[in-house]
Order: sequence, then C-alpha cells, then structure tokens
Amino acid sequence: MRYLIRRALWTIAALLGVSVVIFLLVHLLPGTIVDILGGGEGQLSPAQRAAVMHQFGLDRPLLVQYAYWLSSIARGDFGWSFRSGQPVGELLVSRLPITVELAVLSVVGVSVVGVPLGILASVSRSIRVKTLVQIVGLLGLSVPNFWIAVLLIIAASYLFHWLPALIYVPPWAQPWVNLQQMFLPVLSLALGLAAVVVRMTRSSMLEVLGQDFVKVAQAKGVPAWRVLLRHALRNALIPIVTVLGLQMGYLLGGVVITEQIFGLPGLGWMLLNGVYQRDYPVVQATVMLFAVTFILVNLGVDLIYTYLDPRIRYH
Amino acid sequence: MGGSARSHSRRRLSRRAFLAGGLAFGGSMTGLDLLGGPWNPTPAVAAAAGTPRRGGTLVLAQEVDPVSLDPDTNSNFSALQGYEHIYESLTMYDERMNVLACLAQKWEISDGGKTYTFHLRPNVKFHNGQTMTADDVKYSIDRVLDPKTASPWVSWFSSIKETRVVDPLTVQMNLDAPYPDLLGSFAGLRASGIMPKGFAERENTKINAVGTGPFKLVEYAPQDHITYVRNADYWDKSLPYLDGMTFKVLTEENARLAPLRAGQVQYAVLSAQGVAQLENAPGITVMKAPNARVALHYINVSKKPLDDARVRRALRMAVDTNEVIQKAAFGAAAPSGPVPTGYGDWALDPKTLPYLKPDVDGAKRLLAEAGYPNGGFTIELRCSPQYPEFVTSTLVVQETLRRLNVTANVVQMEWGAFVAAHNQEIQTGGKEGGEIFASANTFRPGPDGYIYPYFSSKGTLNDGGYSNPNLEPLMSEARAISNRDQRRSLYVQIQRTLLEDSPNWWWYAKSNIEALSTKVQVYSQSFTGRRIFLKKAWLGS
Repeated sequence: MRYLIRRALWTIAALLGVSVVIFLLVHLLPGTIVDILGGGEGQLSPAQRAAVMHQFGLDRPLLVQYAYWLSSIARGDFGWSFRSGQPVGELLVSRLPITVELAVLSVVGVSVVGVPLGILASVSRSIRVKTLVQIVGLLGLSVPNFWIAVLLIIAASYLFHWLPALIYVPPWAQPWVNLQQMFLPVLSLALGLAAVVVRMTRSSMLEVLGQDFVKVAQAKGVPAWRVLLRHALRNALIPIVTVLGLQMGYLLGGVVITEQIFGLPGLGWMLLNGVYQRDYPVVQATVMLFAVTFILVNLGVDLIYTYLDPRIRYH
Repeated sequence: MGGSARSHSRRRLSRRAFLAGGLAFGGSMTGLDLLGGPWNPTPAVAAAAGTPRRGGTLVLAQEVDPVSLDPDTNSNFSALQGYEHIYESLTMYDERMNVLACLAQKWEISDGGKTYTFHLRPNVKFHNGQTMTADDVKYSIDRVLDPKTASPWVSWFSSIKETRVVDPLTVQMNLDAPYPDLLGSFAGLRASGIMPKGFAERENTKINAVGTGPFKLVEYAPQDHITYVRNADYWDKSLPYLDGMTFKVLTEENARLAPLRAGQVQYAVLSAQGVAQLENAPGITVMKAPNARVALHYINVSKKPLDDARVRRALRMAVDTNEVIQKAAFGAAAPSGPVPTGYGDWALDPKTLPYLKPDVDGAKRLLAEAGYPNGGFTIELRCSPQYPEFVTSTLVVQETLRRLNVTANVVQMEWGAFVAAHNQEIQTGGKEGGEIFASANTFRPGPDGYIYPYFSSKGTLNDGGYSNPNLEPLMSEARAISNRDQRRSLYVQIQRTLLEDSPNWWWYAKSNIEALSTKVQVYSQSFTGRRIFLKKAWLGS
C-alpha cells in the first residue's frame, strides 16, 4: 500500500515533467497555427495574424499559457481544438477506443502467437526451426511496420481480392465488420512485435531450462509439458512481460503511422494531424494521454511481477 | 427557372471537349511531348452514354483530410474539397473557366467598374429550409472582410468597400478601385460561400455547414469520412443526379488504389506513379488535365547575388525544364509561365515559353557579364518533404548549378517551419528567413492574382521587395481595365518581362489525374482541381 502511494506520487511528478517537456516542444516548433491557417502562400496580413494569435491566447507569455493549460487540465478541461473548434476532451474520448482496440488486439495477438513459437524454438532440436525463428525474428525487427502495412494492403487486394468495409465501424455496432477492419492494421503492428517476443521467449526459456530445478522436476518424473509450462515458463515470464510492456510504448508510436495508412480515425492520426496543423491543445492532450498510458502500463508490469514471482516484494 | 443563368449547357460540352481532351492528354504524351500537338487547354470529360439517370450513391476517396468545413477561414485546398458541394457563391465556373451566374441571376457593373449590382436568384432555399435573401449575402461577404474572421483569402475581396442591401433580392457592392477579377473571386469559392445570416455565431462552422449547394452535409467524421445527401430543393431543378456521396479519407495512395480496383470506391485522385498501377485495369477511366497550380521557386531578390536579374536568369536558363518535369512530376505536367498553363487564354502558350531547352553556355556568358565569370558563389534553397515534388525540383536545380560552379545548399524543412520562414522573409522585406523557397501558386480568381501581389512594390506577398519600374504602370493598368482583349495583351507583355527578369523560377503546371469507375457518366475535370461537376455526374448501369 505504501509502495502504491509512493508510486502514485512519482507518477504525478513524472507527469508534471512530461507536461513541461510537451508544452515546450510544441511551442518551440517553428511555425504556429497562424502560418498553417495562412498557408504556404502567406496570405494573412500582419494585423490578421495578430488577431488570430490573440484569439487563441498565443500572444500571452509562455509561462502564463503553460499555467493556464495546466490548471485547466487539473480541472479536467483539455481546451478546444484550434482547427475543429471541438472540445479536446470529447475528441480524445471518441478516438481512444480505436487506438486502444488496435493496441490490445496487437498485444493479445503477439502473446498468443509469439510466446508459443518462442517456446517451440527453445525446445526444438531441429536446426530448421531454429533458423526459421532466427530469420523471422530478424525480418520482423528490421522491416518497418508502415512498409509491411502497404504490402499487406497490396497483397490482400491483388492476391486475395479481399478488402474490409471502407468506413470505420465501432466494435459495439458491428463486431464482425470491425474485426475485419482491424485485421490488417493489427497484423502489420503485430509482425514487428512478434519477432521481439519470440526471440525473448526463446532465450529466456533456454536460460531457465538449463537450471537445476528443471532437472529436478524432470528427474522426479513430472510430465514434459508440465515441466515446460508450469515450471519453466512461469520463471521465464518476467523478461517476456517486461518486453511486452515496453512494446506498448512502441505500439503507441506505431499506431500513428498505421492508423493513417489504413484510414482509421484514431488517436495516432489525430496526433499527427495536430502536429501538422500546429493544433497545440490537441497535441498536448494526446501526448499527455500517451504518457499516462505508458506510466500505467509500467506500473501494471511491476505489479504483475509480484504475481509471477511472489518472492518479489515492493517496500 | 430560366434566366441567363441556364446558359451553360451540359450537352454542348461532352463529345467535342472529350475528343479535344483526349487529343491533348491521351496516350503516352507527357511533359514536353505536349508541345508537339496542338495545345488545347480544355479538360477531359467522361463520355456520356444515354440520357442522364437519377439515383445512386457515389463513394469517393478523399486524398487529404479537410480538417475544417468553414468556407472562409481555411487556406488548405482540402477544406474547399469538403465544403464546395455544400456552399455556393454569387457566381460559378463552367468547364472552360467562364464565369456563370449562380446565386446571382444577373449583374450590372457601373461607375467605371467600381459598382457591382447583383440580382439574386429568387426562391433559393438553404439546406435548413430558410429562403436566401440579400441579408444573407451581405452577412456572408461582411464575414469574409471582418478582420476577426482572419480569412486568408480576404485580398480577393478587399476591394469591396461596402455591401448594401437594396431590396431582398438585390445587393450592391461598392469598390474602392476597379477590380476585374471580383466575379472570378466569387466563383473561386475559397471564401464567400453564402450562409444564412447569423449562422457562424450560432454554430461551429468548422464541423457544421448549411449552404445552398447541390448536396447537403449529413456527417463529417474528421479523418474518416464525409457524407452528403442530395439537396432535393436545389435551385437547378434537374440537378444533382446522384442521391448522395461519401468521401472516405484515404491519404495513402495504395489504400486508394486497392478499393478503386475492387470497385469499392468509384473515384480517386492519383499520382503519376499511382496511375501506372492501373494499366489495363478494367472498368476504370483515367482523366488528366492541367491544374491551376504552377510549381515555382520564390526568390528573395534583396540578397546578393540574386538581386541581379542576370544572375537569376542565368541560373534559370541552365536548368532543363523537361528534366524538372520528368523527375518532379513524373512527366505529368506542362511547362508554365507565371499564370499556370491551361488558365483559359490568360496563360502563355507553353510552346512559346523561354527556357524550354537548357542553355549552360548562355548561362555562363550571362554570369560573366554579371561579374561572376567562374560562378563561385553559394545560394541556399529551401523546400519541404511535405511536397516531395518540390524537393525533387530543388535537387535538379542543385545538380544543374554545379555545371556553373555555383554551390546550391538545399535545406529541407518541416512544412510548418517552411511556411514560417517564408512568411518571415516576406514580412522583413527579405532581411531574414531565407533566399529561395520551393513552392507553388495555386488557383487565383484571375491573372492578376499570380502577378500583382508578388511583383508590385505594393504587393503583400513580394519576396525581398522586387520592383520593376517598367512593370508597375502595366500591372496597375491591367488591374483597372475590363476590356478582355486589352487585358490579355497586357498580361502577355507583363509575363514575358517577368520571365526575362526571373524574380521567380516558374517550372510547370502539374496535371490533375483523376481515376473513376466507367459507371460514372459525364464527370468533367475542372482546371481549379475541384470536383464541382459531380453535381452533373450520374451513374450508369
């Protein structure tokens, strides 16, 4: 309990730090909303520019803007989008489910496929299986997911003549249609992730399988599958869970590109558009949300450790 | 209905224009090849088969998210692509860039071009059922001119001193100086869409839209789709034919190509490389026509050695225009002067343009004359990877200038940063911001918009304070007279002088490539790059 409180305090401190960094980064970007509104051909007069800056409160000192933003967030008000005039909070709520679904499906997919493959690779004596896992792992690590995404679109339509419905459908409206829409994006995200997980599972399992307690279990006649899953896997899980947690952060970055390629109106695309449009409230709120997610996932991973290995205690 | 407004005919165009368009742009003719045949700027029209039929819904791929549907405050073209079916203005363009009556049925110009009296079309209904009156027109025009609106297009309308409601169907506009492109400004619709009085105060105009156009907004889901439904009360009773349209935002070209081939979408804008993937694809027509968008480099003429016209001209003449077109636009473009090739008869005939063939020796002689016999100076060119074609054109320039022993440093910048730097350059009169910027001038309501703001000493977009005492009176005169032939010859003279003086390097007008299902009948391309003629399109079986 004391540990949780301390973690919570640290989280708040980290978020404050993140907020400063985001705010400064966004405002240090050259070009403002005024340049974007005026366009590449510079049609806004200096008087008009000043009027727009004032309208968005951008003419006030940076420190004042920051304090105002922070106090608004503390009150649960994320401000208004410069470009669409909608409350940012509402935008976040409407976009969040898409990105969460993408991320969760990817992690689930990776766990279901990657972990068993890693175990297989660790126990198999076949040189072919080992080489295959090595090659897949290397490819998955080195091929960028946006390229995989484009290849998947081409392959699906040209080879299999299959395309999901065009307009995004939320899972609660038509779950089956939604799953079809999510299939290619999730696949493109998961391929890269799976490579990491397979490799991590394999090396972690190999290490555990060489230890004495595994030999003892084998010696006293525990069935092989039980040794593998109950004794070895449980002890090998900690690094795997760590990697999966870290990969959540990678996923949040991956969705930015994946969503755009597949035309999914999620948080990632909103963030990207926000940066292009210099829509500060949208960018700031989205990155904050990503930061919170990242911190929460890390906290979750730490808590899972205590479950996986009861010897781990936090004080 | 009746009246002069219906003078545009749907039938007149189809066959002849289609053949002409086919001649100019069909087959493998690209870039300079265009110069071999007779130049014909008429855009292509999808052939008509049988009589128009009502009904059906079209699904179209939208290449860029509109971001906002406000008809006055957006500089991005994609916003116009989003609201152009909903809002209309007093005038509109036909397929040949003639200005036609739209919400104004007719008009008179008096007081030496300083007073415009518009007679509005009676019984025009907004999408909310309200009848459009002069009050709504005045409100909408006043909104554009209001500094608080901060419309990037205000310069198109800033000659309007006052808009007066004469009676419910008559509006009078008093100008502080004659401005012959005013009617084109309305037709251009970058601002001046007519909305109900008080609408912008009542609603969020960035996501809601109520106009008089052929289609009503049903839903705008940013970054996903826009849905429209047929406006049953449209003033042109026969239009539109379609029951509705859905634009799905697909920014990745492969994500547009796949559903196009599969028949899931019936329309997509493509790049020259993308269209190559469609070869022999059944059921798809590809249309190409030049677009009101001239790719260029803005030059800060206050910086040495670029303040010397001979230097600017020498650097330009060394570069192979065709190479730029082949590499930057993959051949799908025509050489262009200041007014984009294809802009009615305002543009110069591309066959007569200077710099079509590179002339490195001539460039060296000119540089020697200017005091740089062996080159030996360094210039900086800025471009943004947001527009890969401008990066490519800049790299071609860089590569070519090596032959003159001129070092060209290429600086690639993120788009927002690029725009900010260019704005800074204009606002400081060239003192800060940079030397050369790769960009494009998009649609303007007339030839003046490509010239006066950039090259008049009073121009608001003048890079580095360019001024040519021979041009100043010509530019003012061309602004003031309304006789079309006289104006035209003035603009020919002005453009020739500008090309000689090279305060910008003009390269090409890129083709607008649209692919659509062969089921779509009588869709015409617009030189503006807009899809205004979707209201005349219909679905065959």
